Amino acid sequence: MKLAAAIVGAVFGITLTWSGLTDPAVIRAGLLFEQSYLFLFFAAALGVAFAGTQILGRLRPRALLTGERVEWTTESPDRRRLGGAALFGIGWAVAGACPGPIAAQLGQGVGWSLFTLAGVVIGIVLYLRLQRRDRAAAGEAAGGRLAQPAAR
Amino acid sequence: MLHQQLPWYIGGPVLGLCVVAVRLLLNERLGATGAFSEVVERLGRRSLAFDWRGWLFFGLVAGGLLFVALNGGPAFEGYGWLTDTFTGATAIIIAPILIVAGALIGFGAKAAGGCTSGNGLSGNAMASPSSLAATATFFGTGIVVSFVIQAVI
Repeated sequence: MKLAAAIVGAVFGITLTWSGLTDPAVIRAGLLFEQSYLFLFFAAALGVAFAGTQILGRLRPRALLTGERVEWTTESPDRRRLGGAALFGIGWAVAGACPGPIAAQLGQGVGWSLFTLAGVVIGIVLYLRLQRRDRAAAGEAAGGRLAQPAAR
Repeated sequence: MLHQQLPWYIGGPVLGLCVVAVRLLLNERLGATGAFSEVVERLGRRSLAFDWRGWLFFGLVAGGLLFVALNGGPAFEGYGWLTDTFTGATAIIIAPILIVAGALIGFGAKAAGGCTSGNGLSGNAMASPSSLAATATFFGTGIVVSFVIQAVI
């Protein structure tokens, strides 16, 4: 499982890099509608991911490495998710990078990516702390008997 | 050899197949934010026993490394508009800007339940309403902020 994940990650990382999508200038040119590459790339990736995932969802085979049935549940949008996505988009536009490309930038030895990485780590740690606090508060509100999964 | 940008109709489908592969092999949702978070959480507990998502992260890093090995150098120079705008002595301001932007990316992606890969590709492929709304939102704010930066610099 770990080896498979590492191989998929490496294919993902080298493809992002080779496509120029680890270059903040390419992301920016896409978001400014100066180049169609970002949107065409995204649409092509989503088209294949959607078709493949939906076919698997219909066939419901057993996952090759875990043996469990291929199935999933979906979630409805809420304020927390939309607010998070809005903040994410702001950071994405300023840095010109998102988590996948940041990891691949690190591999390329791009020095500036160390700062973006540091920021991402700070953001994740902050979120995890808030989540723990919310969960503790929810637990108290329920008289400490029920551990409520308030937020992910 | 690798200098030319991979055409979108090759690169895009390869990423799409990565999403499908993770679903078929592990019945999991491929997402770079989950991969980052696994490494952060595990290291926070002084553990190196990463699950598959941690190895996905190391794979992403290795992909960048592999490209450099084959190409003889990174795919680009500088860091986009930041290094174009802040040159010479003012370049020092890029570091705090990237840290703040990174924090928005990390915090925002965790709250949103995914980033460009987790929500944008995998979640939408699962036909998840939450992912569709998140994708529309981050593309929206990303586009608006890009134009705001354009107007200011």
